[in-house]
Amino acid sequence: MHGDLGNKLVQQAKRTQNLAHLPPYQTELVRAVTREVRDLDKDVAALLEPFQGSFHPTDDQAVACTLLVNHLSMRRNKRCLLAYHHTRTDKLEKLVWKGYDVVDLAGQQVGDGSVNAGGASNVANGDGSMNNLSPQEEDYVRQYSDLLAAYKGQWTDIDLTGSLEPPRDLFIDVRVLKDAGEIQTEYGQFYVRQGDVERLIAQGYLQKLS
Amino acid sequence: MALPLPSGLVPAEVAFLCEMEMITIVPRQRLESIPMLSGNTPALRPPRRADLPLWLALLLKKQRRANIVPPPWLLPASLQEIIHIETNVDPQAFSPPPPPPMRSDGRGIARPYAVTTTTTTSSGRGGGGYGNANGRDEDPNTKELILAPPFLPSCTQDAPSGYLPYHWLEIAETLLAHAADDIPNAPEVRALLRDLQEVRAAKMRGSTQHLEGGGGVLNLRGVGAMELAESRGFVLGVVDGVRKLGASIEASRREEELERGDDGGDESDDDMEL
Amino acid sequence: MDIDDILREVDPASQSIPAETRDLQALTRAWVAERSSPELLRWPADGLFERVNDRIKQQIERVEEMTGDMDPKTNFALIVIQTELERFKYLVRSYLRARIAKIDQHTLHYLSSPDMRARLSETEQAYATRHQALLHNHYLSSFLSAFPPALQNLNDSAGNISMIDTPDTDTAVFIRLLKDSLVEGRGTDGDGIMDGKNGDIIILRWSDAKPLVDSGRAEVI
Repeated sequence: MHGDLGNKLVQQAKRTQNLAHLPPYQTELVRAVTREVRDLDKDVAALLEPFQGSFHPTDDQAVACTLLVNHLSMRRNKRCLLAYHHTRTDKLEKLVWKGYDVVDLAGQQVGDGSVNAGGASNVANGDGSMNNLSPQEEDYVRQYSDLLAAYKGQWTDIDLTGSLEPPRDLFIDVRVLKDAGEIQTEYGQFYVRQGDVERLIAQGYLQKLS
Repeated sequence: MALPLPSGLVPAEVAFLCEMEMITIVPRQRLESIPMLSGNTPALRPPRRADLPLWLALLLKKQRRANIVPPPWLLPASLQEIIHIETNVDPQAFSPPPPPPMRSDGRGIARPYAVTTTTTTSSGRGGGGYGNANGRDEDPNTKELILAPPFLPSCTQDAPSGYLPYHWLEIAETLLAHAADDIPNAPEVRALLRDLQEVRAAKMRGSTQHLEGGGGVLNLRGVGAMELAESRGFVLGVVDGVRKLGASIEASRREEELERGDDGGDESDDDMEL
Repeated sequence: MDIDDILREVDPASQSIPAETRDLQALTRAWVAERSSPELLRWPADGLFERVNDRIKQQIERVEEMTGDMDPKTNFALIVIQTELERFKYLVRSYLRARIAKIDQHTLHYLSSPDMRARLSETEQAYATRHQALLHNHYLSSFLSAFPPALQNLNDSAGNISMIDTPDTDTAVFIRLLKDSLVEGRGTDGDGIMDGKNGDIIILRWSDAKPLVDSGRAEVI
């Protein structure tokens, strides 16, 4: 039945929206839905052929009806394909905004925040490429990264992909707990930029004072 | 997606916004003027008071370089008065926001603090569009600027008592968290604020009844920024939900009104339909 | 030495708001409005963001100059300046990204007419045009090029359903009146009209609020 495959694509798109990672590109399904459109188009051409360009819908209502259904099916398939691809590019763009070098995430799970989790991969097939992305998607990500970099370049001083959390406690009071070599040799209390010392706090050299 | 946030400021953004409110401090140390992006800070000379944005006042407070003068509306007597207004004077509406601050123009006329024009002529014209509701008062050559929260001086020592400014809850909570020792009778203030929050939360819930009516405009005069942020999703969701569910009813109502309007709206319409 | 300060305080002319403060309010208002309205608003035509961006750049240079100086007094000024700098950077960043998010969501809509395009900055127009081209090319190379030529466009509207998505301009918003104004709003069961007072906070549809906001009689909050 026309439209079944399109529905599958929309279901895939819906599923993708709720997933943390990007599931594998449905090459076969995309190809099948596209083929359906081409077949429908051939049907249309075949139906119109006998009329030699002088088809009048009112004279031949049965043909007109079939033509309409074919047209609607083609348009519906187009919408399904667009929705499916757009859901995926949306997800890819989100990763680019988060600062992931998506193209370099070779074989890694492309997911929200999971990239740093040891690089454990549930999709790598060993050839080191982004298996979940179609080659066209890989191209797209590269080009979008370039576009974003160009846009960011207009605003270099504000760090466009920086945090969207309102800045709070940029500077914090810290107490030196142990000697951190070149950083600090004096014990005592200091007022420092939080971003500069987060690692030292995590490593136990400094203690954050509230 | 470039911005993974819902439409409308979330509470963290409101907290950031409220830190732009000006607040009065008493410096404990001298501090020279600092050239900031938003203008030079006043030179601080203890014990002369100065007004600074809240974020800077908090920075000075944390470093024990200054004490904060709580705004008059945050004192227990003021909060009690507001609770009285909220519960007894008008139990439906929020208590009124502070009146627009006025200042002298040096020629004997009090003008709203909030309105300035960028023209530098001293033509005596100043009040901008205040009090004019007809919308035809704007001079296209005069670009006026109307200040609104957080840029009104509604949390300095000169702010009136008995009125809650737009950022009341965030300011109060921030000051209690970081400068409780500067607030006289802080425990009582804390308790009064809790009462106030409760009274007003009930009013916020009550307002949704009006929203379900789908009447077009709803005035929430006196509501606070954090109160809005916390119920924004729900309130706007109700309004949009009512609109979408009633879209066809509204469309046919409009069609009917249009027909009646086109026919001149006199009684003969009904006769013609018969 | 404070006599100058005192004189300045009593001189009403100098109480007018300094340009930097005015720009901060304009920047803040633009940010709040963009974060709170369902539609992309007009990019400020008065060069506000270019001005703010220049000042941020200068301030960063100042920080670099001051960093070498280890005098504790300079040090505290540095903390203040850097803290404020981060606040400004955040405002501009959040504003720009709120806009890009809206542009990305309805790219074709905002590129569709000169009127809509005029809401975008030049850089945003370039970004949107290029982004749209990248997407369309991606669709073409993924499936669309195999379609009959008549179906390869993205802006067709046959069957009464436009392929161009538009923002819902009837979405409800909160506004604050900056001047006394008559406020009219459409509703489901009936339309509302009220004599609004300066400081009123009103819920209504964005399409009804927009004229008030555009004329400066109200701000989106």
